[in-house]
Amino acid sequence: MQHMSTGERVLRGILIALALIFFLFPIFWIVLMSFQTNAQILRIPPSLFFSPTLENYTSLITGQLKTASGVLTLNFMQNLFNSFILSTASVALSLVLAVPAAYAFARYKFRFSEDIAFTLLSFKFAPPLLVLLPLTIYFQKIGLANTYFGLIWVYQLITLPLILWIVRGYFEDISPDIEHAYRIAGHSWAKTFFKISIPLARPGIAAAALLSFIFAWNNFVFALVLASADKQPVTVGALAFVTASGIQYGQIAAAAVISITPTLALALFAQRYLVEGLSLGAVKG
Amino acid sequence: MSALEHASISAKTASPSRRRRRQKWLPYLLSLPALLVTVWIVIPFFTAIYYSLLRYRLSLPQLKGFVWFDNYLHFLSDGRFWYTVQVSLLYTVITVVVELVLGLGIAILLQRSTRFNNLAAMLLLLPLMVAPALAALMWKLMTNPNFGILSYLVGLIGLTNFRWASDPSTALFTVILVDVWVYTPFIMVLLLAGLRSLPKQPFEAAALDGVPKTFVFFRITLPMLMPYILTASLFRMLESIQQFDIIYAMTQGGPGNTLTVFQVESYLQFFQFTNVGRSAALLMVLWAITFFLSNVFVKNWLRLRERAQGISEE
Amino acid sequence: MTTLALNNVTKRYGKDTILDAVSLSIEDGETLAIFGPSGAGKTVLLRLIAGMTEPEAGEILMNGEDLIEVAPEHRSVGMAFQNFALFPHMSAFENIAAPLEAKPAKGDGIAVGVRKIAELLKIDHVLNHAPRALSNGQKQRTALARALVGAPKILLLDDPLRNVDAKLRFEMRLELPRLLEGFGSTVLYVTQDYREAMALGDRIAVLMDGRFAQVGTPEEIYLAPATIAVAELFGDPVINLFDAEVMAEDGHVTARVGRARLALPAGFKAAAGRPVVLGIRPESVVRSRAGSAGAINATVAALLPLNDRMVRLLITEDGQEFYTSRDFGEGSDAGEGATLTIGAAPEDIMLFDKESGHRIAPDAAAGRPIE
Repeated sequence: MQHMSTGERVLRGILIALALIFFLFPIFWIVLMSFQTNAQILRIPPSLFFSPTLENYTSLITGQLKTASGVLTLNFMQNLFNSFILSTASVALSLVLAVPAAYAFARYKFRFSEDIAFTLLSFKFAPPLLVLLPLTIYFQKIGLANTYFGLIWVYQLITLPLILWIVRGYFEDISPDIEHAYRIAGHSWAKTFFKISIPLARPGIAAAALLSFIFAWNNFVFALVLASADKQPVTVGALAFVTASGIQYGQIAAAAVISITPTLALALFAQRYLVEGLSLGAVKG
Repeated sequence: MSALEHASISAKTASPSRRRRRQKWLPYLLSLPALLVTVWIVIPFFTAIYYSLLRYRLSLPQLKGFVWFDNYLHFLSDGRFWYTVQVSLLYTVITVVVELVLGLGIAILLQRSTRFNNLAAMLLLLPLMVAPALAALMWKLMTNPNFGILSYLVGLIGLTNFRWASDPSTALFTVILVDVWVYTPFIMVLLLAGLRSLPKQPFEAAALDGVPKTFVFFRITLPMLMPYILTASLFRMLESIQQFDIIYAMTQGGPGNTLTVFQVESYLQFFQFTNVGRSAALLMVLWAITFFLSNVFVKNWLRLRERAQGISEE
Repeated sequence: MTTLALNNVTKRYGKDTILDAVSLSIEDGETLAIFGPSGAGKTVLLRLIAGMTEPEAGEILMNGEDLIEVAPEHRSVGMAFQNFALFPHMSAFENIAAPLEAKPAKGDGIAVGVRKIAELLKIDHVLNHAPRALSNGQKQRTALARALVGAPKILLLDDPLRNVDAKLRFEMRLELPRLLEGFGSTVLYVTQDYREAMALGDRIAVLMDGRFAQVGTPEEIYLAPATIAVAELFGDPVINLFDAEVMAEDGHVTARVGRARLALPAGFKAAAGRPVVLGIRPESVVRSRAGSAGAINATVAALLPLNDRMVRLLITEDGQEFYTSRDFGEGSDAGEGATLTIGAAPEDIMLFDKESGHRIAPDAAAGRPIE
C-alpha cells in the first residue's frame, strides 16, 4: 500500500470519482429538478443553469397544485405526516418491547431462548407478501384495515427484530459484574436495569432506533397492501402522486426530495452506527 | 475438614427457593411482550399455506374449494410460473454479482482510512438510505423519454430510441440498474469494514517480500475476506429474490409481464386476477427458497458475529 | 459469634462441580483469607455469598438467617471485584456513592460519607473523574471505597490486588489490614498469593478442587499443613519433599532418606514401617557437622537470589534436589560447587502419609500418631 505510483494514484482518483458520480448524481439531479419549472425540465438539452423556483415546494406544502386544467388538491403533506407517525410510533413501540427482550436474550440462557430469538429474526427474511396478503382479509374482518394501529402493529415486523438483535449485542458487551456491583450496592433489579444496563447500551439503542426508523420510513409494501390514501406514507403516496399530478415533474421531484431528506439526514447523523446496524453487528467497524 | 466432621453434617439440600423461581421467570417475562406482538404472524402464515391448497378466486367465490396440491402441480406445466422463476433468478444473480464486483472494487479503492476515503464512503452510503420505491421514482424521472437526463445522455451516444423500463428488452436492465444503485453501497460498506478489520501482518510481510499485488489480492485479501463476501452476498440474495419495491414502483411488473418476479407476480395474481390460491402457492415456493437461503445465511452470519465479538474484546 | 456460615454448599456449572459440599464459618470481625490455585472456586464462593449466583445444595446463613431467599441488594454485603467493575458512565464520586444512595435518604450525608472514605483511601482528588480517566491503582481504591462506604456486615474482596502493579500491591498489603480493622467488617479476602493470605488473614481457608483442604491460622497452615498439597502451596521456594521410611530402634525414631538417616521426634514412633513423605522447609535446613548423625552430604548446584535471601539448590549424594534459604554466612565456602553437610532439627521435620497425602502429627504424650 505504501508504494503507490503516480499512475496508480491517478487511476484510483478517477475510479473513486466515477463511483461518486454514479451514486450521487441521481440525488443531485432530482434536487435540481425540484427547483425547476415544468418548462425548464422539458427543455432540451437539459441545463445545469436555470433560475430556481420554490413553486414546487409551496404547492406541495399548501396542497394546491396549479395545472393547465385548473387547481388540483394534493395531500402530500398528509403522506409526510403519516410517514412520521408510522415510523416514530413503530420505533417507539419496538424499543419498549425489544429492549427488555434483548436484555433477556443477552443475559439469560433460558429454555427456547435461542429459538425465540431466531424466530423473531426469521421474520426479517420471510417474503412480506406471504403474510400481508392473508392479513388484508383478516384486517378487513377485525376492523384494523387502514388504521394507524394496525399498520404500526405490522411495522413491528420490520423494526422489532432489528432493534432486538442490535441491542442484544450491546447488552452482551456489558460485563455482568458491573450490574452485580450495582445490585450488591443495594439496588433492585429494575433500578439496575434502568441505571446501569440501559445507559451503558445507549449507543446501541440509539443506533438501532435510528436504523429501524430508516427502515420503517423506507418501507413500501406494507402500506401499499394495508393502507388507503389517507394513511399511506410518502413511499406509496409519492408514487400515487405521479398519476395524480400528470405531467407536473417538478412537483414529483420535490416530493421525492422531501421524502428522502429525513433518512439521508439521519444516515449522515448516525453514520458511525450504520455499518454495525446494517450487518446486525456481524462486522464491528 | 476431617472426614468425620464432614459426615456429621447432614446432606441438607436447598429447596428451590421462591427467589430462584422468580428469577427463572424473569427472562420469559422480559421477552414475552416482544414475542406476543410479533408471533401472530404465524396466523397469516398458516392461512397462506391453507390458501395455497385452495381453488380460491375472490371474483368467483362459489368455486372456492379444497384442491390439495393442484396449485403447485399446475405450476409444473405453467409457462407463466417458469417465467417468474427464470426472471427472478436472473434478477437475483445479476444484481448480486454486479453489486459484489462493484462493492468489492470500491471497498478496495477506499481501503485506507484517510479522511477523503471516509468522506467518500459516507457519501456512497447515501443511496442505501433512499427508499427503494422512491429510488425507482427518481430513476423513472431520469429515464423519462421526453426529458430524462439519462435518455438525453444515451441519445448523445447514438441510442436515440433507448426506452429504458418501458421497453421489454431493456426493462430488466433498467430495474437492475436501480437495484445496483441502491444496494451496492450495502456490499461496499460491509466489505470495507471487513477489509479494515483484517490483520495487517500478512500484507506487510508480502509488501516486504515484493509479492506482486495481484497475487496478494487473490491469495491473501480475497480468502481472508471470504466470510464477509459470503455473508453480504447471501443477505443480498435473500433480499433480491424477494425484490418488490423497485420493480413494482418502476413498472408494476410490466411492460406486459416482463418483470413478473415472485412477489410482483403474486401481488398481481392476488389483486389483479384475484386468484388467491395461486398467489399463495407462488409465495410458498418463494418462502421455501428464502427459508433455505436464510438458514445458510444465519449460520454464516453467526460465525462472523462470534468472530467480530472476539475481535472487539481484544 | 459466627456471622456467616456455609453448610454443605454445592455449586455446579453444567457437569462441573465447582464447589463440592463445602462448609465454613466466619466469626464476627474476622478477616478470612480464601486462598487457592486459580480455578479452585474462590470467586464462585464470593458470588454465592453475594447472591450473584445460587447454590445447587446447602445453605448460607448470615447471623442464623438463610440468605437463599434474600436478594443481593438486601444481603448487606460489600464487594470489590477483581476487574473493579466500576460503573463506566459514572464519576468516581457517583461510583462510591451508589451504596449510600440505596439507603434511606440522608441529605448531604452521602457527600460527607463519600469524602470521608475517599480521603481515607487517598482518592479525594480524583472524585470527579470518570473511571476511564483513573489509573489502575485509583480504580482499585475506588472499587474498594465503594465496597466499604456502606459499612457492610460482610466485605467480600475478590483478589483486589491482582490487577495492580507490584509496588502498589506491596503498599496496599501493608495498608489494608489497618483499614479493614477500622471498619470492623467481617472480611472474606480471596487471593492467589500465599503471602497476601498470610499477611491479611486472621485465618486462611485453603480451597482446592472445590473443597477446603484446610482452614486455620497462618501459623497452623504453615507449620502444620494438613496435606502435602497445602504444604507445597505455602512457602517460596517450595518445601523439600522426599520419600522416606520411618524406623524405630531402641527409643530412637529416625527417617531413612536414601543413605541418610534423619532423627525424628519420638512422637513419630507409631509411623514406623510405613512409607511416608518427609518434608523440610528450605529455611529449616541447617549445616551440621560432617559425620554427625542425620547429616546429609550435598553439593551446591546453583545460587538463586530471592529478595533479601540467598536460595541454594543442593544436590545430595543420592542425587536428590534440595532447596535451602538459610543464611550460611556469605563469603563462606557455600558457593557454587561447594560441598556441604546439612541436616534439620527433628522438630522441623514434617511427615505425610504417602498414600493419602495427609500430614502425620507426632503424638507428644503416647508416641501414637494421629492423622
